[in-house]
Amino acid sequence: MADRDIQMNVNGLALKVNSGPGRTLLSALREDLGLIGAKDGCSQGDCGACVVLLDGQAVNSCMVLAPQAQGRDILTVEGLAENGVLHPLQRAFGETWAFQCGFCTPGMLMSCYALLSSNDEPSREEILTAISGNFCRCTGYQAVVKAVQQAAAEIRASSSGDGEQGRAPA
Amino acid sequence: MSTPQYVAPESLEDALRIKSESGADARLVAGGTDLILRMRDRVFTPKLLLDLRRVPLTAISCTAGEMRIGSYATLSQILAHDEIANLFPALVEACRPFAGPPIRNRATIGGNIVNASPAADLVPPLMAYDANIVLSSISGDRELPLAEFFTGPGQTVIEPDEILTEVRLPLMPPDSAASFIKLGQRRSMAISIVNLCTRLSLAADGTVATARIVLGAVAPTPLRAVAAEAVLAGNDITTALLDEAAQQASRESMPISDVRASGSYRKRMTAVLVRRALSAAWGELGRNNSNG
Ligand SMILES: Cc1cc2nc3c(=O)[nH]c(=O)nc-3n(C[C@H](O)[C@H](O)[C@H](O)COP(=O)(O)OP(=O)(O)OC[C@H]3O[C@@H](n4cnc5c(N)ncnc54)[C@H](O)[C@@H]3O)c2cc1C
Ligand code: FES
Ligand code: FES
Repeated sequence: MADRDIQMNVNGLALKVNSGPGRTLLSALREDLGLIGAKDGCSQGDCGACVVLLDGQAVNSCMVLAPQAQGRDILTVEGLAENGVLHPLQRAFGETWAFQCGFCTPGMLMSCYALLSSNDEPSREEILTAISGNFCRCTGYQAVVKAVQQAAAEIRASSSGDGEQGRAPA
Repeated sequence: MSTPQYVAPESLEDALRIKSESGADARLVAGGTDLILRMRDRVFTPKLLLDLRRVPLTAISCTAGEMRIGSYATLSQILAHDEIANLFPALVEACRPFAGPPIRNRATIGGNIVNASPAADLVPPLMAYDANIVLSSISGDRELPLAEFFTGPGQTVIEPDEILTEVRLPLMPPDSAASFIKLGQRRSMAISIVNLCTRLSLAADGTVATARIVLGAVAPTPLRAVAAEAVLAGNDITTALLDEAAQQASRESMPISDVRASGSYRKRMTAVLVRRALSAAWGELGRNNSNG
């Protein structure tokens, strides 16, 4: 009945947050752990700006109570780059101009990362479904589709042998 | 504000004991996608939050003539389940336009039912397939038709010491087809303006043996349009008969006006959409038969 001390593995690190059960995972990440990549857009599950991975699945961290994450694996946008090298998905977002203001981007990246983890050749439809819970108010979605397809191609190339460096999704 | 205690018991027995001791003071947390908003709005102020994620309530299995779905099965689990897709396709159709993946990864079938929203998307298909639910308490289980569960918006017959543990779907007779339709403001991330499910099961002579027409978001609870079902039962299907049933279903609806749509729009769309769903189910029966 760990009421106040909640332990979770965030981006590979075992961390403790001291949190009352009424608090959300999003506020624990942002306020206690200083991981401010996930954004608080609507606080009610509608916009997707707060999406992180919980045991490998995309979730709205504003709709997860901190104790629901007890003992579980959390991946946030801060965990995508490795040793200062951007994940192929992050690079593709930059190269295809898949964001303008960038507010939706951390959540968008995590939804796309979750998709690529189980599907390294997603169709346009599958990509649109994967980001159907992520609202972008300035760039739109076409560039995101392009970015995901570009990243997927790169990941396939690098996992089929000699390709460039870059971490394939877990 | 006093913060609730949070407990994640290891077994159903422990959970049922806590429920019997604390009653309505202890509230279940499943996905939390309804609960968190209601706690924030102070609609719910539980003293204790009971998280059953360590209790094995997520299993989906097909045994002895029925499909059993644990109350903590998520929308994503149902959407990915091939046997459900084969046997109860309208249930999967209702999962598809439900919110988006991050909510579907959390939201559970049990939460969708117990939350008792008149617009809950899983309820019309479940009722069209004659689902039963199992309510468990420390003194035992009771099984009842889902159609008898709801008493009003947010209101059900669940007792303070009970937990919804399982949803049971009887296998459909041969020559059955069902169709779910959701009308929302967009394809994803929209609460239904109207949602509904129709099912037709044919007798050997081709007449309608069983008809189900279940309407959502047009009454205080999900509603079986029983008079419209009676229009169909025992008859040969014709387009005129389907028209009549759809008009009758619309007469049985009692929608309110709210932020999403006016009552008169809902009532008119009920006729249109019931007609469309009946045609779809009928069309599928035709295809099944011609395929042999
Ligand atoms: C952005 C967003 C989009 C949504 N879109 C849709 C949609 O398209 N269609 C739709 O129908 N709904 C939608 N919802 C509503 C919600 O996601 C669903 O109703 C969901 O199925 C609730 O399940 P949950 O596991 O999250 O329930 P919770 O929030 O955990 O629980 C809901 C209620 O049921 C009780 N409860 C839960 N499980 C049990 C149990 N086993 N026994 C007894 N009591 C229990 C809880 O105590 C609580 O009162 C949406 C919600 C959000 C935030
Ligand atoms: S902040 Fe969580 S979905 Fe908008
Ligand atoms: S880039 Fe501005 S909201 Fe998406």
